[in-house]
Amino acid sequence: MASIKDKLSKNLEDGIAGQMKKEADTLAGMSEEELFTYADYDEKEGEKSGYSNYSYWGSTFRMFLKNKGAVCMLVIMVAIVVFTILQPYLPGQMDPNLVNTDPDRFVPLRNVPPGETFWFGTNSIGQDLWARIWTGTRTSLFIGFAVAMVEAVVGITVGVLWGYMRRLDFLFTEIYNVLDNIPHTIILILIAYILTPSVKTLIFAMSLTGWIGMARFIRNQILIIRDRDYNLASRCLGTPTYRLVLKNLLPYLVSVIMLRMALSIPAAIGSEVFITYIGLGLPAATPGLGRLIEEGRVVMMNAAQRYQLIYPTVILSIVTISFYIVGNAFSDAADPKNHR
Amino acid sequence: MKKRCLAMILCAALALSALTGCSGGTDATQASATSPGESNTGSQEQKPEGSSDKTVYRVLYSSEVETLNYLTSSSNVEHTIGANVIDTLIEYDSSGDMTPKPGMATEWSYDEATMTWTFKLREGMKWVDHTGAEIADVTAQDFVDAMKYVLTPSYDSGTAYIVFDTILNAQEYYDGQAGEADPIDFSEVGVKAVDEHTLQYTLKKGAPYFLSLMTYVCFMPAYGPLLEAQGASFATSADTMYYCGAYYISSFEPQVQMVYQKNTTNWDAEHVYIETIQRTYNAEADTIGAEMAKRGEIDFTNLGSDVVDSWMNDPATSDMVSMGRPSLDYSYFYCFNFNVKKLNENSYRDGMEGYSIDEKYEPANWELAVNNENFRQSIRHAINRVSTISVNTGDNIAPENFMENTITPKNFALNNGQDYTSQPAFADIMAKDSYDKDLAIQYKETAMTELAALGVTFPVKVLVRYNPSTTNWEEECVVLEQQLESVLGQDYIDVIVEAGPSSGFLGEVRRASNYMLLLCNWGADYADPETWTDPFYQAANGDGTYNRGSRYAYLAYAIEDNTASADTVKEYFRLVEAAKAITDDMDARFAAFAEAEAYLIDHALAVPYGVSVSDFVVSRLNVWEGQSASCGVSNLRYKGQKVYDHFISMEEYEAGLAAH
Amino acid sequence: MAKYLAKRIGRSLITLFIIICVVFILMRLMPIEGYFKNFDKMTDSQIQAGLKEQGLLDPMPVQLLHFFQGMLRGDFGVSHSYRENVPVTEVLRDKLPVSVKLGSLSILVSLILGIPLGAVMARFKGRIPDKLGTLFIVFIQAVPAAVYYLFIQMYGTTILGIPLLFDAGNAKSWILPVLSMSLGNIAYYGMWLRRYMVDEINKDYVRLARAKGASGGSIMFRHVFRNAFVPMVQYLPSSFLNTVIGSIYVESLYSIPGMGGLLVTVIKNSDNNMVQAIVLLYATVGVIGLLLGDIMMTILDPRISLGAKEGGR
Repeated sequence: MASIKDKLSKNLEDGIAGQMKKEADTLAGMSEEELFTYADYDEKEGEKSGYSNYSYWGSTFRMFLKNKGAVCMLVIMVAIVVFTILQPYLPGQMDPNLVNTDPDRFVPLRNVPPGETFWFGTNSIGQDLWARIWTGTRTSLFIGFAVAMVEAVVGITVGVLWGYMRRLDFLFTEIYNVLDNIPHTIILILIAYILTPSVKTLIFAMSLTGWIGMARFIRNQILIIRDRDYNLASRCLGTPTYRLVLKNLLPYLVSVIMLRMALSIPAAIGSEVFITYIGLGLPAATPGLGRLIEEGRVVMMNAAQRYQLIYPTVILSIVTISFYIVGNAFSDAADPKNHR
Repeated sequence: MKKRCLAMILCAALALSALTGCSGGTDATQASATSPGESNTGSQEQKPEGSSDKTVYRVLYSSEVETLNYLTSSSNVEHTIGANVIDTLIEYDSSGDMTPKPGMATEWSYDEATMTWTFKLREGMKWVDHTGAEIADVTAQDFVDAMKYVLTPSYDSGTAYIVFDTILNAQEYYDGQAGEADPIDFSEVGVKAVDEHTLQYTLKKGAPYFLSLMTYVCFMPAYGPLLEAQGASFATSADTMYYCGAYYISSFEPQVQMVYQKNTTNWDAEHVYIETIQRTYNAEADTIGAEMAKRGEIDFTNLGSDVVDSWMNDPATSDMVSMGRPSLDYSYFYCFNFNVKKLNENSYRDGMEGYSIDEKYEPANWELAVNNENFRQSIRHAINRVSTISVNTGDNIAPENFMENTITPKNFALNNGQDYTSQPAFADIMAKDSYDKDLAIQYKETAMTELAALGVTFPVKVLVRYNPSTTNWEEECVVLEQQLESVLGQDYIDVIVEAGPSSGFLGEVRRASNYMLLLCNWGADYADPETWTDPFYQAANGDGTYNRGSRYAYLAYAIEDNTASADTVKEYFRLVEAAKAITDDMDARFAAFAEAEAYLIDHALAVPYGVSVSDFVVSRLNVWEGQSASCGVSNLRYKGQKVYDHFISMEEYEAGLAAH
Repeated sequence: MAKYLAKRIGRSLITLFIIICVVFILMRLMPIEGYFKNFDKMTDSQIQAGLKEQGLLDPMPVQLLHFFQGMLRGDFGVSHSYRENVPVTEVLRDKLPVSVKLGSLSILVSLILGIPLGAVMARFKGRIPDKLGTLFIVFIQAVPAAVYYLFIQMYGTTILGIPLLFDAGNAKSWILPVLSMSLGNIAYYGMWLRRYMVDEINKDYVRLARAKGASGGSIMFRHVFRNAFVPMVQYLPSSFLNTVIGSIYVESLYSIPGMGGLLVTVIKNSDNNMVQAIVLLYATVGVIGLLLGDIMMTILDPRISLGAKEGGR
């Protein structure tokens, strides 16, 4: 038995050796130039060895759908977004800025508790809280989405360049230092002074400063993985930078970027609350959730008016929680390590 | 491993360096925080909830003073300091009869021929420092030194302009110091210490209201040698100033607290009932003050108008709410903008092209409309002030209490006990509210016919601006818009409410003429109706142009542009000039000013609105026990007031109001 | 490393210079109303004279030069409106320690509570501790700070039986402000540490270690935690900066005389000298924090390099 095995292996070895010899002979017959030439980079060739029926996004969605809680939150999130858009067109809705007055004396109907006419009651000057909350949610979500988009696009682009290009590190670090240390309040006040306070102004002002944090975040992530072996290998193999970034670095970061994006929408709403707090917020005619909460907060200690704080806060919390949970679940799902 | 250790140390250092590194500074703050805190915590511990030891008064406040310097400050909050720690030549009592009573001066006289006032000072008055220790006597020279300080340009006094208007050569001296004119010696200014206890003021022009100015901060004394030594740093802290009033400041920590202690050396100390006033700063006083009052941690806080209703409706709190004294020296009115052209920084049109208002609001259309009296009248009669004022008053207080039918508030100026607004010229105006739906529609119809003939397009856009940082102003504008459009119809006017910048509002909006209809206000400088012509009156320069005046509605441009309302404005200016010329006969003077003001209102050049709605307060003080005057700082004094063992209720407040 | 550091510090100085210049110019673009006490009633010539008196009509480079000359002497001028005529340095000297003390305490508390929270959540991913932790994090994220701060103050003081306002001498009254300021950071640290640790747990070396039979606890703490902590380090410098900035909400609610909201106030009041000094302070701390963060990252994770020499492009 043993001999047969030996024989077989010997044959095999011979075969291989023969093949190698043949190859060595051909190589030896080649000139120096022929031996060492740069192979042109070919995208198809690059993908060849890596083929499988695994689809990244497909798996991500499958993983995501497994998380029942997150799917539930996603439904709520979509429902809220759709509802804020549809709400003004539904029958029986009031104008959010209409000060409801007593028809005889023209005196505003203030602080009317929630009831049949005013579903969420009225605020301290007599405007319908239901209509204001949905208008506010619409405004705040719009601001949140817009700012998050700008943050993502500008932040990721700058962050990747900053983290990946060593030569640019110096330049970007210093630009970052300058921009990050100019107090955002100065910029906000200046913008509020030059342009009148409005949704557009607020988005502009918040985007102007918001992308910096994202860029730094991405830069730090890139810095951590930039010199890992697989990237070094890719570089040695002549992979172009854009491809390295798109295929090696960013997919690795999808999960953290997703989480951060999901959080930056509530964060944008949060900073709207802050901007309102320091008195630079949106005008009352275009209420944001921030303004509604600030108005409610002041009357919090009066039990009879507490609903003015609770309703907007609950809506804001639902929005934030749904974004947070969906973002987290998606970020888990987006991590290929979790795909099985 | 070494590297790891280093990292850990760095980590720890980041978190801890602050703690360890700043321990020196930390100790210092602790020490300073506890020493004045003693009186604070002490008083709180002694006092069980609900009762009061009647000599300590604890206030929560949210707007901090920037300086203690009463000579330079122009803000009401800071004037409270001057009012309580420095005495004035004359005083008013709590009756509101506007008769000057002896203060630091025991007697005074006026010499018509030389236009000189002579005051005899009380003897034995002392300056004390922040520990209450006596420093020196108060002499007439202290008034002279203080005025010199006020008139020094580099100290940038916010009230110097009041001195310019009244005292001989004050403006000249100031301009000379500022390098804008030939310098003159201070001895030429109309203020003189004849001897230690005799003070003389020489006036620039006849000013029948001069005595009322004596309770203003810019006429307060200050210890000369201290002013000399401190210069710009005078009164930057409690120990860089001396006191001669009812109280001295024993501790001032900005953004923390300020403590007033009764000054026992004061000539009138027996009428000062509160021994210690403990003022605690809190930026969120509006939010938490009410709760602190409920818990008995403070004796005074403002109550926001948005929570007043629920306090009044809750039986547990309804008798804790009262109000501040109505202000007599501050009034609001709507201005129509008579200039829609772009202005340069000096408020002239030279070198400027285009409109000051965005073209999308059709300024040219407005220009034609505003110069039509029937158009203005229609708006005047359509404004229902009850509904806009009620935004601030809540449901339980009648907005009518704060409404004024004249620009000059009621009880502002008295002549022989007769209120200025009871002048015969005002009879029709005072008789009823200007809001009249039917009349407004009549005017609307006439205006529509007249304006259509001029090519005005309807609806006329009416741009209303507001400052978003002013509480409830925006809400008032929203109510105004709805209310005007519902009365006059959207086919006639289209009211557009737009926010102005929260910083630089006046410069951007009112001065830059970037509005059509604006709620403006004016604070009286002295107790005489003349002060209420300042926002509107513009003196002629003699070459057909007019002085910029106070840049309110730019009335004079109606004349310069030769518009339809030119004659109306001219007539108003003429009436004002005639009234100003009368300085010896008070009856005639009041009648003449009333005629001018009535003309202004009757021709709807401006629409009177009201006085500011007094703050709702939770307070243990009865405001009616305090001094009262229509101008000066008398209203801000604690002297004469007592701390009650309960919070004053609205009934008690209204009883006091009725008694006055 | 030393060379790199020297370079970085040199550049940081240039950065600071640029920041100061930009802020200086920005502040002078603000409305002039803030420079005057009684703008409402001033004539144009008075306004011009006032601007001249304050040196605001000089050409910008001259104004800047004056500022830098003063700065080199350690003279930042006097506050214009926040505390009139009081030297800026004196104002900051009073306020800075208060915020720094409070902020450092709050960072300590957040680290002490936040790091274990994240670690425990990651260790028991998907189980009850993780769910409870998530609930807490979600709550903190979802409810605006301004709202729950007020809640904590109102009910916390009742429970502890102390006055509503802060009193530095009373140890009890430190609890609520520090706790309020920490909550956000606890949630933040917990959330990100959990995220990084979960990412790390899925890595091959962890699987290998597990396959080799290393105990769960030792893997978690010797490997996973340490690696996950690297990216966490970047948050420390900004937290450090926050202690200097102070918390506007907490300080306002409890009457704490710190730095919270100071910058906002002085910008709104056009108190240029104050703005300038505070910006310089914040920028310095910010730049130092960034530098320290980078250095700490390289120390904790030798795979990260900052110098330009070693390879790469």
